[in-house]
Amino acid sequence: MKKILVVDDEENIRLLLKEELEDEGYEVITAENAEAALRLIESSRPDLVTLDIKMPGEDGLMALREIRERDYDLPVILCSAYSTYQSDFSAVAADHYVVKSSEFTELKKKIREILNPDSA
Amino acid sequence: MGYAETALDQKARTDLHRIGQAEILIGIPSFQSAHSIGQVVKACLLGLAKYFPERKGVVFIAEGGEADAVRKAVAALPMTQILEQSLLSPPEIPVEIVAADYLGRSGKGTAIRAILEAAGALNVQACAVVDSDLRSISPEWMELLITPILEKGFGFVTPYYCRHKYDGTITNLIAYPLTRALYGRRVRQPIGGDFGFSPHLAEVLVCRDVWDSDIARFGIDIWMTTVAMQEKFKICQSFLGAKIHEDKDPGKHLAPMFSQVVGTLFTLMGMYEPLWRDQKGSRPTAIFGFETEVTPKPVTVDVNNLVHQFESGVREHRDLWQKILEPTNYYKLMEVARGRGRHFELPTDVWVRSVYDFAVAFQGTVAPPELLLQALVPIYFAAVATFVEKTRQMDSRTAEAEVNEICEIFEELKPYLTARWQIIPKRRGAS
Repeated sequence: MKKILVVDDEENIRLLLKEELEDEGYEVITAENAEAALRLIESSRPDLVTLDIKMPGEDGLMALREIRERDYDLPVILCSAYSTYQSDFSAVAADHYVVKSSEFTELKKKIREILNPDSA
Repeated sequence: MGYAETALDQKARTDLHRIGQAEILIGIPSFQSAHSIGQVVKACLLGLAKYFPERKGVVFIAEGGEADAVRKAVAALPMTQILEQSLLSPPEIPVEIVAADYLGRSGKGTAIRAILEAAGALNVQACAVVDSDLRSISPEWMELLITPILEKGFGFVTPYYCRHKYDGTITNLIAYPLTRALYGRRVRQPIGGDFGFSPHLAEVLVCRDVWDSDIARFGIDIWMTTVAMQEKFKICQSFLGAKIHEDKDPGKHLAPMFSQVVGTLFTLMGMYEPLWRDQKGSRPTAIFGFETEVTPKPVTVDVNNLVHQFESGVREHRDLWQKILEPTNYYKLMEVARGRGRHFELPTDVWVRSVYDFAVAFQGTVAPPELLLQALVPIYFAAVATFVEKTRQMDSRTAEAEVNEICEIFEELKPYLTARWQIIPKRRGAS
């Protein structure tokens, strides 16, 4: 079973996304900030990370940079409520950029494309 | 080996022997650049003094015939004054500058070979290469190209520039999308010209038997990027700001460069087929640096001239096109040629299939490689004209989304390439 790490400082989003992705057949682990996420990447070796950009402490773009330094083959989807960060050059190090919506349709589609390319 | 045993002349070898060891080497491939090299050397020296004052640095200029003039230009630089103006103390270990004529076939590749050999002779820990005619280079480039190698374990650092939407059309329309689709890595400037690399990669590169080929002329940048990707070196990109160099209108200046770069790309496809054949999709690459607001200098493109050259190309090359292109693709291209009028557009999928058809034909015996590459140039001009029209109202950032779409189509149509590749009757035998 493919393992996804969901990183978001809002607990409701973490829980909702965990439920949605588990329904899709993935194992889901969560982290509330970048530091915890980086620890989980080391210890749990997820297959994909969804990363919120706006978080207290180290933001998602900084975390992305550290992820790329440590293990550049790990797919990362950046999530934000705003499309403005998409043009930030740091965002090019992500596999995809998704603007958050309540249905997570776009996010789930991108996850399928990355983790199950033959069935997407 | 058909090429010279070394690209270092006696003077260079003597100078490097005298220096002994160094930690950082900045190489500058140069061709009669005495007039412009002062600015580049100044940026290198300031960068080494500012960011690596405790490390022994060497600037090595590999010249294509006028080393004496370059040495004079460098000697004329008022270094103490330059450091004072930048509020910098002289580095603890003075930076050495060596300028020498390289030996071997004239071209940037041979200059790079001399730099790679110098890196080995000095046993450096990190090396960077910057072009000799840059007007936008700053001391910060040294930090951005060297630090990922020295401190973060990367093997290859490629540049990430802020460029005008019409600057770098060979990169945007073929070098980047094709490299990305083939090898699965998103390296935005695979022919950027300014790189950082580890001594291990330098060693791998210098041992390759390519120095008598076209790679030793202008295909060197794409070759280095491809080898780094294929040999699984850890790659990152550094944001270097704007790249300001001589303006080049694609229709007037870029045809020879197109043939050299694309010829190298196609040759490498033959060499690395087992490594790219099964690669699906693409992965992003780490990026370092600090993004500043830069407005790139506008580049003017004469679209009418591009379309005119495409039309001339139809008349000149259509027989060869018919042999190279898959029939449906050929007829679509002829439709584009006939449809000239209100709106000129080469559909992206036709462009991509054409590139793939030509890549396949390049491995066979349909036509000599140079003739084949010449025949692709008019289709490239049509692709440039289409890109310019599509992005006319866009700023450079928004136009980037269009480049990304082109890349995605290259990736989507890769099965078309692999299917056609399997029926190549006879390979040219590149290895």
